Amino acid sequence: MTVDFIFEGLNQLFPSFAGNDIFLILAMLLPFAGLFGFITIYGFGVIYSELKVSSFIQDKIGPMGQGPGLHAGKWGLLQPVADGLKLFFKEDIIPASADKPLFILAPFLIFIGAFISIIAVPFGEKIIVADMNIGIFYVLGIGSLAVIAVILAGWSSNNKWALYGGMRSAAQIISYEIPAGISLVVVIMLTSSLSMQEIISYQAGGLFNWVIFDNPFMPIAFVIYFISALAETNRTPFDLPESESELVAGFVTEYSGARYALFFLSEYANMFVVSAVAATAFLGGWQSPFSDFLNTPIWSMFWMISKTFFLIFVMIWIRWTVPRLRVDQLMHVCWKVFIPIGLFNIFGVAIWTVLRG
Amino acid sequence: MVKFFTDIYTATSTILGGMIITINHLFTAKRGIATLQYPEERWPRPERDIGFDHGSYNVIRSRLHVDMDDCIGCLKCERACPVNCIKIETSKAPERGEDIKDVKHIGITSNDSRKAMVVTRFDIDMTECCYCNLCTYPCPEECIFMTGGPNSKKHPIDYEFSEPDRSDLIYRFAKPGTKEGMEKLLNDDNKVEA
Amino acid sequence: MGLVHGEEMVLNIGPQHPATHGVLRLQVRTDGEVVSQITPYMGYLHRCFEKHCENVTYEQVIPYTDRCDYLSSMSMNFGYVVAMERLMDIKVNERVEHIRVVMAELQRIASHLLCTGVFGLDLGAFTPFLWALRDRERILDLFEFTCGARLLYNYMWVGGLSHDIPVGFVESTFEFLDYFEPKIDELENILAHNKILVERSADIGVMPKDIAISYGVTGPNLRASGVKWDLRKNDSYSIYDRFEFDIPIGEGKKGTVGDCWDRFYVRILEMRESVKIIRQALASMPKDGDVHQSLPKKIRPPKGSVYARTETPRGDLGYYIESDGSPIPYRLKMRSPAFTALSVMDEIAAGWLLSDVLAILGSLDIVLGEIDR
Repeated sequence: MTVDFIFEGLNQLFPSFAGNDIFLILAMLLPFAGLFGFITIYGFGVIYSELKVSSFIQDKIGPMGQGPGLHAGKWGLLQPVADGLKLFFKEDIIPASADKPLFILAPFLIFIGAFISIIAVPFGEKIIVADMNIGIFYVLGIGSLAVIAVILAGWSSNNKWALYGGMRSAAQIISYEIPAGISLVVVIMLTSSLSMQEIISYQAGGLFNWVIFDNPFMPIAFVIYFISALAETNRTPFDLPESESELVAGFVTEYSGARYALFFLSEYANMFVVSAVAATAFLGGWQSPFSDFLNTPIWSMFWMISKTFFLIFVMIWIRWTVPRLRVDQLMHVCWKVFIPIGLFNIFGVAIWTVLRG
Repeated sequence: MVKFFTDIYTATSTILGGMIITINHLFTAKRGIATLQYPEERWPRPERDIGFDHGSYNVIRSRLHVDMDDCIGCLKCERACPVNCIKIETSKAPERGEDIKDVKHIGITSNDSRKAMVVTRFDIDMTECCYCNLCTYPCPEECIFMTGGPNSKKHPIDYEFSEPDRSDLIYRFAKPGTKEGMEKLLNDDNKVEA
Repeated sequence: MGLVHGEEMVLNIGPQHPATHGVLRLQVRTDGEVVSQITPYMGYLHRCFEKHCENVTYEQVIPYTDRCDYLSSMSMNFGYVVAMERLMDIKVNERVEHIRVVMAELQRIASHLLCTGVFGLDLGAFTPFLWALRDRERILDLFEFTCGARLLYNYMWVGGLSHDIPVGFVESTFEFLDYFEPKIDELENILAHNKILVERSADIGVMPKDIAISYGVTGPNLRASGVKWDLRKNDSYSIYDRFEFDIPIGEGKKGTVGDCWDRFYVRILEMRESVKIIRQALASMPKDGDVHQSLPKKIRPPKGSVYARTETPRGDLGYYIESDGSPIPYRLKMRSPAFTALSVMDEIAAGWLLSDVLAILGSLDIVLGEIDR
């Protein structure tokens, strides 16, 4: 959508060069650059908020030293920048016994997986990089790319802890795709579309038209999706692949410097993607909660980002509250709790739609 | 089946309960903050005198300090030290209780005891010190004590006694030149006697 | 569990590992996630405590006892001075006894706070750990207020104390207790009843009564197995017989008696009992009395030997002291409670998953300084 839009805009602006290939490449690169900038700024913002929220929960004050202000800095606003710089300037260590090509490939693969999911996330009626007719399906599919990267990282490190982390992660992410998918199927049944924009336009008209308030089964589907999303992004209570008190650092044990930073950033990018999907599918996407009030394109971006950030905040909040599950309990929760309830949900929603007409 | 649903119920309720506790901490953060911004803020120190005359002596286990004008060289602190980090060498003073100008030795302590010994070496190796405070109690003149240290004017209570060179952590309290001065003095005495 | 068997792998947990509470190496044989055998290797922190004590005078031993169990130094001092006073037949005055009890119980709270916090940390809950440390800091502040040191006190001396308590200590302690009691509830609510923590710890690593007794496990670990055994009541030393308090035992509220959850919960209950003891001791403390009153001029115990045991936060701490009449101990032996707790590891943790092994290790509350000595 956006690519076509920019391409046509460029064509109209310079009619003498209309149809030039350079315009097409430019039209592709511009949204890419925009997204990359967005991810970076978002990464800094969310890492900062993770630091601060966790600190306030733990009765600390968090980073104070970096950033504008007095010598000690008032709020430590530049702490994530300092962290990032530190990681990028560190020595890049590849263990001698590691499988070098795979070891190098893994962090890029996981980052690409997180990054290209974002192109299907709508920020407004027109503000979307690629409005695919299978948008939600695409995000789910790309999301499972992460598992390959994690297994690669775990295996190629040639480290027992990393191997444990990789294996746990594979089992976990593959299992939790199913409840996540099942709970999104319910939404697709209601909206009868896989396109992100059509799912959102189904929810037009204020708070009570959102999918989550559509019928009594939807909050359950939302909770299942949200918890499965936690598991897919390896957040506590499902951070088994990198559980620091058991597996040292799990699949990232041998990574350092910039490669580690990529893993780190892609975890947060993944959080954004799953939260954006949850916001799109259940919370009305970029629609204002007050029907037509404040529903301009700029406000639509605001609504989308604030809904997503609220869900990210809940993720952070959960992370600093609960302990971690065990491997078999993780599987228990997935296969014996979420999937039966999710299937029941599909059944319930089907009957509900039939009864409602 | 009942257990299935009660388990889900307890899981949800206890986790939500925990989340309510944490969110309370988040929003009442201002009241309960435990952090002190170290170089700018410092821990309030207990103000207390335990009976020694030294005004700066609070109950604090920081670096050791010796008041060399009061030290009589009795070696009691050296013997009390469990890690042998105090090294003292003395030489006999020619006259008990007399000042020796050459080595800036003062003959009478502030407790009015007359010194029989000149302390030529009083080294405390702070890298070995275990801060047990055992050396300060046997001292008859109360001249060895734990304090904020020589920098105490700058930082009243001083943790920052790190040094760039490890050998600087061996505190040499004897006045510089005392050893050589005493040797010279004794040699001179011997010559006079001879 | 373990229906499918694969090749076994040897995995070294430690000596540098976030969950081993110091420098401990657990060599585990694992089949996938299932652990079949655990061999603890220790000695990375060995400092020849016992041999060292044969070369220093009796009062110089006290700083070394501090460093054995560095999380409960007051209790380690307490055990040693109780042994020495029994050997030299010294009676200390009332004020000293009261101060000692207050200090030892404050230390017990500090140590249990760390243990419960770290247990949560081992299971992945980071926040309660920092809350526990926050409250522990306040106890350390009280200790610093008293004797100037925050961790290694050298506070209790044979026949007395190094300092009297400062003016305002009693008020500060009461203030701390008032602040602290709601915090125990908070810790209990966020950790102990959390369904995930219960799932992770209930029925895991069950230590039955007979195994606990035959391995010589003591302290909260033994009480969690359902044995009502506390030296403060059973072999009363100092003035513990005057105070009213219960001995909490594991009841298997969430699972079996003697599981990880019981060991964790018993410590929370013990903190409440310690608060009770401190309140009583502070209330009945005599206003005057010289803490240096019965300090011997020179510690030169008569020929003979003594064995005295006290209840530290980790269990039954025993000192055996053999004196030949000189100012230096002929032989000093310490019975370490954490050592026995670690030795039971293979018995109760084999057959569980890797994550459970670390949960069990956390629930045993070992301190490597004391095990290696």
